[in-house]
Amino acid sequence: MKDKVLAGPLDGDLDPFARPSRGHSNALSRRIDADPESVEQGLAQLVLTIVELLRQLMERQALRRIDGGGLTEEQIERLGTTFMELDRRMEELREHFGLEAEDLNLDLGPLGRLL
Amino acid sequence: MSGNAIAEREVALVDLVDRLLGGGVVIAGEITLAVADVDLVHVSLRALVSSVATAQRQGVLPADGGDGP
Amino acid sequence: MIELLAITDDTAPAEPPLRVVRAGGLGVVVAPASEDEVDADALWRREALLERLMEQRALLPVRFGTLVADDAAAAEAVAGRSEALADALRRVRGAVELSVRAVAPGQPDEGSPGEHLQARAAHERTAAALHERLAAAAREHARHDGRELLRAAYLVDRSEVDRFVSLVRDLQAEYGELSILCTGPWPPYSFAEPEGA
Repeated sequence: MKDKVLAGPLDGDLDPFARPSRGHSNALSRRIDADPESVEQGLAQLVLTIVELLRQLMERQALRRIDGGGLTEEQIERLGTTFMELDRRMEELREHFGLEAEDLNLDLGPLGRLL
Repeated sequence: MSGNAIAEREVALVDLVDRLLGGGVVIAGEITLAVADVDLVHVSLRALVSSVATAQRQGVLPADGGDGP
Repeated sequence: MIELLAITDDTAPAEPPLRVVRAGGLGVVVAPASEDEVDADALWRREALLERLMEQRALLPVRFGTLVADDAAAAEAVAGRSEALADALRRVRGAVELSVRAVAPGQPDEGSPGEHLQARAAHERTAAALHERLAAAAREHARHDGRELLRAAYLVDRSEVDRFVSLVRDLQAEYGELSILCTGPWPPYSFAEPEGA
């Protein structure tokens, strides 16, 4: 089989690239059961995905504002803290429902991945 | 690229699977595939939206005005 | 059941186990649905079939695991999309897909939240700069969001592949703090959907 790596890091350490970027191991092994607990988990998954999407959109917007200038140090600090808190809250919610970060990246078929 | 052949295979596999599952022509909007006893589920946007409404009714997601970020 | 593997506009027969089902002016490359377990070896075997086919004709790979009942269903699957698919085939003809991922070293824990955010903003600028240089060496490009600093696909003329890889190496030397990986050539997975999903 042909070698696919055309160029890599100078130190030869491929470790950072060895894990899937998206939850493909999950995608290949995920089942949908009918039992109530996983139905609730499925709903939580959908809901948390939307929250995660919004979080990413807001973060992107914040980064654009920072690049554009016009934010004081204090405002940037506050933004940073807010996103930290959001991250923490998201992690709590995910843990509560037994979800991994990758579980939130739903495949919408022709619309591609959500996140 | 010389080096650890196993590591190279592994990272190449990541890029391959990325493409297989995220790229390519999509033939149908909603497909449930059974490949050797494993289900791959694609969720249409319609189902996503209606599920959010259901989740709000069931209290899994706070309704508008609930405590959020 | 049969598995849909690729769309092509060259309807000449293919090597078994592949068959080409005619659908309007297009061909749908199919194979019997596999009973085998989906493991890495199976994926590489399937990929090898597609890549060998791609050496002889332009094709758009179909998303993995697309199964339909029979040839009629295969033809039906592309009905009504012939023009868009033919356009996509024209766009990818003579080119291959190269993947680039770049990661930055992990961020240390110290630093205020604001500093972390500013560091992220700096990373975004670096990623945009890298992507711009790579995109300039490609026919088309598709950047994806992800945890990495940069994750993107580039549609590169076959005759330009060596130059592109050289560029990646130059960028790696220039951005010493990053780790940059380029893999390929791949069939045009990221440029197959006509609407650019």
